[in-house]
Amino acid sequence: MTNGADLAVSMQGVRKTFGKKVAVEGIDLAIPEGSIYGFIGPNGAGKTTTIRMIMSILFPDHGELSVLGKKSAVDSKDRIGYLPEERGIYKKMKVGAFLKHMGRLKGLDSRGLGNTVMEWLDRVELAEVHKKKCEELSKGMQQKVQFIASVLHDPDLIILDEPFSGLDPVNMRLLRNLIDEQHSAGKTVIFSTHVMYQAEQICDHIVMIHEGSKVLDDTLDDIRARFDPRAIHADPVGGHAMLEQITQVPGVAHVTPVDSALEIVLDQGVEPQDAMRTLLNTHPMNRIEIKRPTLEDVFIEIVTGGERGADAAQLRADLLAGNTEDTQEVAS
Amino acid sequence: MMNLSKVMRVAAREFASTALTKGFIIGALVLPVVMVGVIFVVVVIASTQQPPADTGTIYLVDRSKEVSPVASDRLSPEQVEERWKARAERIKEAASGFMGGLMGKKAEQAMDSTAQMIKFPEFKVIVTEPDADLDPLKAQLRDQVAGDPSNDKNLDTVIAIVEIDANATRKADGEEDFGVYQAFFRPKLNDETIGEIESSVRWSIRELRYENAGIDRGTVSELDNVNSRDSQEITEEGERKESSGLSNFMIPFASLMLLLMASMTGGQYLLTTTVEEKSNRVVEVLLSAVSPLELMTGKIVGQMGVGLSLLTIYNGVGIGALVLFNRGDLVSPITYLYIFVFFILAYFMFASLMAAIGSAVNDLREAQSLMTPVMMMMILPYIFFMPVIRSPNSMFSTITSFIPPISPFIMIMRVASNDPPPVWQVLLAIGLNAIAVVLFLWFAAKVFRVGLLMFGKPPNLRTLIKWVRMA
Repeated sequence: MTNGADLAVSMQGVRKTFGKKVAVEGIDLAIPEGSIYGFIGPNGAGKTTTIRMIMSILFPDHGELSVLGKKSAVDSKDRIGYLPEERGIYKKMKVGAFLKHMGRLKGLDSRGLGNTVMEWLDRVELAEVHKKKCEELSKGMQQKVQFIASVLHDPDLIILDEPFSGLDPVNMRLLRNLIDEQHSAGKTVIFSTHVMYQAEQICDHIVMIHEGSKVLDDTLDDIRARFDPRAIHADPVGGHAMLEQITQVPGVAHVTPVDSALEIVLDQGVEPQDAMRTLLNTHPMNRIEIKRPTLEDVFIEIVTGGERGADAAQLRADLLAGNTEDTQEVAS
Repeated sequence: MMNLSKVMRVAAREFASTALTKGFIIGALVLPVVMVGVIFVVVVIASTQQPPADTGTIYLVDRSKEVSPVASDRLSPEQVEERWKARAERIKEAASGFMGGLMGKKAEQAMDSTAQMIKFPEFKVIVTEPDADLDPLKAQLRDQVAGDPSNDKNLDTVIAIVEIDANATRKADGEEDFGVYQAFFRPKLNDETIGEIESSVRWSIRELRYENAGIDRGTVSELDNVNSRDSQEITEEGERKESSGLSNFMIPFASLMLLLMASMTGGQYLLTTTVEEKSNRVVEVLLSAVSPLELMTGKIVGQMGVGLSLLTIYNGVGIGALVLFNRGDLVSPITYLYIFVFFILAYFMFASLMAAIGSAVNDLREAQSLMTPVMMMMILPYIFFMPVIRSPNSMFSTITSFIPPISPFIMIMRVASNDPPPVWQVLLAIGLNAIAVVLFLWFAAKVFRVGLLMFGKPPNLRTLIKWVRMA
């Protein structure tokens, strides 16, 4: 990995401690320009700290870091769009005035800024609120306004910390489309989430952080190939009653009931395609598919070393609960 | 290193969001006007709504037999009225002298009309038999007090019984001292009424003592009265009238208040907006565009604009008032310049502390404990006001005027006093304060950068120092 100009962000051996607590431990990153990266990991894993270091809001204790070819984001702040996790707005300010203020702070010329702001508000279906005070907006509306504030100045690098938290499905899709749009326009996008399913939908590259360390850094496709669970999801006619019979099918290692269906784990060396054919020949199926690993599975496998014990179940529960957990972390 | 246009952008928003609001305009501009109005109204009401004057009968039990004619005359309605009017006139003259000519025509007229409205007590004096028994008279007074309150203001109501000893005006053979008098009063009389009665009796007794001793009263008062020409101060430039009166205190006090008010208002707003930005979580959004130092500088500069506006407005009002009363000469133009210079120095120190505190806490309530030492420091100039203004060039005044952060406040009092310090001292103070400003800003910048993103347990002083080391 080099500090080449084609890298939007690079980090080498970056470490950050807060007192005795190690927040980030030896993270290496090389994020090429034009890519869309997802930082995933549970709350408190070190995602926000990593992002704040990229933004030069925090400074690493050790290690090298470069952003858009500069030693520090301070030198290229106007080329970066940042939506922090702890995001707020001036409650008493009018939406239009707030966005113009942010635009000016990002170095935009005041001429034509009003039009740019209106265009953006139009795109997120908020054109009518620009004269309203920020405090009059709903939380979802505020979030869209904050998103505009982070991309208003047409940055080359967009960093979004938990951009989807608190959004309803409609606005989530709207935001996802906007992110896709930025990506298609050649912008580098980094975003963090503790909801791994969101990362799966958007990212082409995943960085997984756990307890301050990077545990995974790969493309989504490679991850899926690498963590192929060699299992089949089947919903046989007859449901769970067929469990015993299916276990007898050659090539099947063991079967566990999952919801209304069955998860069929295959013996070593058995091709999933062949196994599916055999299963279909012997049992009528409502549905049958090769199980694709979710990031959640991958994460749990990495963290627990492939064991499927109580720890893994607990971890899974923690991950799912993460949505509602208080996300306040010690910042410095 | 700092992007000036961003700093100015932050400053502009800070100023606009503070000064261009209804609350500020009302608080800073309308309120003082209203307060002056209220004070005026209160003064007028207080002067017109005096307690009703006392009327009633005074029994003179004059065992000396010679005091009562003089005292009765002295307490007659005509003489009482004459004395009260003369006294009001004297108070008016003294007041305008004391104010150092700062009082306007309006105020003098107000005092004139007040003098005319003055209500004075009215007495009926009954001289009893010289050997009259006091007890029935006291009993009569007691009965009236216990009786119908409606005849309280009746001329026949007994309000006082005065017993004058037989030897009050002439010493009995072989005695060391003159006799005395004793007065018995009805309860709830005005202090003025009691004073009037007692002083009249004393005056009468004294008058008779002079007479009996063969001394002319006029001669005595002539001998008693020692006058002087206006005292002069001899300075390097020559002689000048010793300045006395309120103007001596008022100008330094007004300068001190202006300075304190302007720097504290700006500083307080800075604290509030910083805490707001932090608790609103808008701060990290801002940090994506500006550095902490740019943010802090912008905010401090913006609120400096607020303080400067206040200072300019109130200074303008002050100058206007002085010019109106033809006393523009009381404050030299250089003093105005110093007020602005010392404002900027004092404000920067205070604002640095406010920025540091604001960034460190989660809400205004938490700010209180950290504010306490700062506020105590800001009270010092008030406490030092009297000693400094009494002797602006004493060792104490000189030393305190060099110690930041109170230095600007002490120095402005000295500069505005009638005995300003030498220029080199003023310049030295400015220099010392400038150094202090840099140190304060450095400290604030360190705390600010760490504090802004720190949520949770409110810090104490030790934590703040840790942050300074950390940043």
